[in-house]
Amino acid sequence: MKPLLPAAFAVLSLGIASPAMAEVSALDLVQPISDYKLYVSEHLATLVDNTKAFTDAVKAGDIDKAKALFAPTRIDYESIEPIAELFSDLDAAIDSRADDHEQAEKDPGFTGFHRLEYALFAENTTEGVGEFADKLMQDVTDLNSRIADLTFPPNVVVGGAAALMEEVAATKISGEEDRYSHTDLWDFKGNFDGSRKIFELVKPLLTDDADFVAKVDDNFNTVDATLAKYKEGDGYQSYDKLSEDDRRVLAGAVNTLAEDLSTLQGKLGLE
Amino acid sequence: MRADDPEDKGLSTNRRRLLLGLGAAGGLLASSSALAVTATDPASQVADAPESDETQEAQAFHGVHQSGVVTPRPAFGMVASFDVLARDRAGLERLFKTLTSRIAFLMRGGEVPELDPKLPPADSGILGPVVAPNNLTITVSVGASLFDDRFGLAAAKPRTLDRMSAFKNDALNARLCHGDICVQMSSNGADTNMYALRDIIKNLPDLLLLRWQQEGSVPVLPAKPGAHHESARNFLGFRDGSANPDSRDEPEMNRLVWVQPESGEPEWAVGGTYQAVRIIRNFVERWDRTPLREQERIFGRRKATGAPFTGQVESDVPDYSNDPKGEVTALDAHIRLANPRTHAARENLILRRPFNYSNGVASNGQLDQGLLFICYQQDLERGFITVQNLLNGEPLEEYIKPVGGGYFFVLPGVVDDTDYLGRNLLAATASPAT
Repeated sequence: MKPLLPAAFAVLSLGIASPAMAEVSALDLVQPISDYKLYVSEHLATLVDNTKAFTDAVKAGDIDKAKALFAPTRIDYESIEPIAELFSDLDAAIDSRADDHEQAEKDPGFTGFHRLEYALFAENTTEGVGEFADKLMQDVTDLNSRIADLTFPPNVVVGGAAALMEEVAATKISGEEDRYSHTDLWDFKGNFDGSRKIFELVKPLLTDDADFVAKVDDNFNTVDATLAKYKEGDGYQSYDKLSEDDRRVLAGAVNTLAEDLSTLQGKLGLE
Repeated sequence: MRADDPEDKGLSTNRRRLLLGLGAAGGLLASSSALAVTATDPASQVADAPESDETQEAQAFHGVHQSGVVTPRPAFGMVASFDVLARDRAGLERLFKTLTSRIAFLMRGGEVPELDPKLPPADSGILGPVVAPNNLTITVSVGASLFDDRFGLAAAKPRTLDRMSAFKNDALNARLCHGDICVQMSSNGADTNMYALRDIIKNLPDLLLLRWQQEGSVPVLPAKPGAHHESARNFLGFRDGSANPDSRDEPEMNRLVWVQPESGEPEWAVGGTYQAVRIIRNFVERWDRTPLREQERIFGRRKATGAPFTGQVESDVPDYSNDPKGEVTALDAHIRLANPRTHAARENLILRRPFNYSNGVASNGQLDQGLLFICYQQDLERGFITVQNLLNGEPLEEYIKPVGGGYFFVLPGVVDDTDYLGRNLLAATASPAT
């Protein structure tokens, strides 16, 4: 049998796995990271305010208002998820889904946004969930103060661009994230914005990689344009409105972004 | 001899094995009774990788036909169906070319390039730094949906290629059906097939979107030189494939499997073949509670030997000439319906190459397993569809439920390094203006 020539791998459609990488120093990342920290703190401030209004509505028994505030409140959480996830205890309390728990919706560990979503959209009630509302408010406040004291690890920030796309690929594409309210496209948008923000911030450092940058931008634009078709008011239509064709377009762009962005840390010299 | 003497361990184990074997087999050694042999190599630790001398087996990639059709079926198979995400012909061409180069590598094996460790590695790594071919074949086929208005291929659609529609006993699950492109992997190892799938997914994320996938396997038999050929058993315990045409008989394959210049198909399709894939759930608990005589009546063969009721061995041709009322072989027995052994039925022969699948437990607590049916034919109507229509209403339906699959057309082979899968299809539909 003939030995393999490395040329057999040269046709990688990614076009990005070339070993040549930009020379980026730790100093180059200081500004992007500090800009990103600003981005996160702005979204956190909005998240805290919106969570207050949302949980107040739940506790006041104003079910229509609570339903209306559910998706717009979550979107800020979704956009900063790579940082929020650093605090795994809070992430689980704030954002775990029923199938993260052995007893699903009945599990005492099932709290946070999706527990309230379940009450509001599946059970159509605000009865008996006041404690969950209080807990969510407390956890979000706690998250805000912990992140304020945090030194952002560069690899987490840069890796966050791909991590957010993995989030979309794993749960948003299938409509499993917001299974009671079907507001997945809002979350999708939050993840998307968070990922693109990180990419935009480090893009000036990718000077040797014009093809890579163009390809990533192209796929971000595809996602943006496809999502835009489903805009409604300040937000997005229900997930069930997403056509099969658009779901495929989104899935392809998201998978490709996840694949391409998975090289971002390496390209910037991060481990 | 001291049992704790490491020098003696191998010997004592061997001797004990021999003694045990003799004890168990008793005086039956002369019969076909299996002599149990302990396979344990005392030099191996529990987690040592199992060893095989077949990992360097390789099938040729280049040829007028794709491999994996008349290639003898190895123990493990997989079918993966994809939606094509390419938006134009240029994208489709890139897809075919990338797929061709990946398959050429995967079937030949070799070293995986090392990338900067700050980057994700080039592959999944599940076969190690040097990929062994392990007898892998990858067979690419296209569904009717690829010939819609996206790529301007409509005029070149193979004559009988259509979206699979449900037969009477089918309960098709939309999530397990159809696809623009189907990729069949078969090899000596489930991991080799999985490596290939992950490689394709990783290298074509913007062009292919996985739609469904099913793995399967067939039981391996001990080699018996000179004995009658035996088909592998399905999960109902019966030999499956007994009436297959001889895949080594080239004229027969040209008559039944490969599209010929005079087949009335578009010219680009010559050398290709139609593929029918069916995911057929078997209700095995219920089957195992069915009397043996009833099981054999339903199939029309002896379970142990695979022989028809009118013969002694599997390869004996069933003879229905003296049995017009079905007193020996029931008129609605599976094999009699599928192939009544008339002269006309010779035209409807299909080349079956199935695998058994097992997907864990269904929601009702019963085993979710069955047959990953795959067959090839020159004409889908004349082949699979005709045979399946003959089978509609058969007693076996009580125990089986087709839930997925699709119809595809296997592209002609890649003849050399300048060629690629689908080249002739694209050329046949190229606009003359450009």
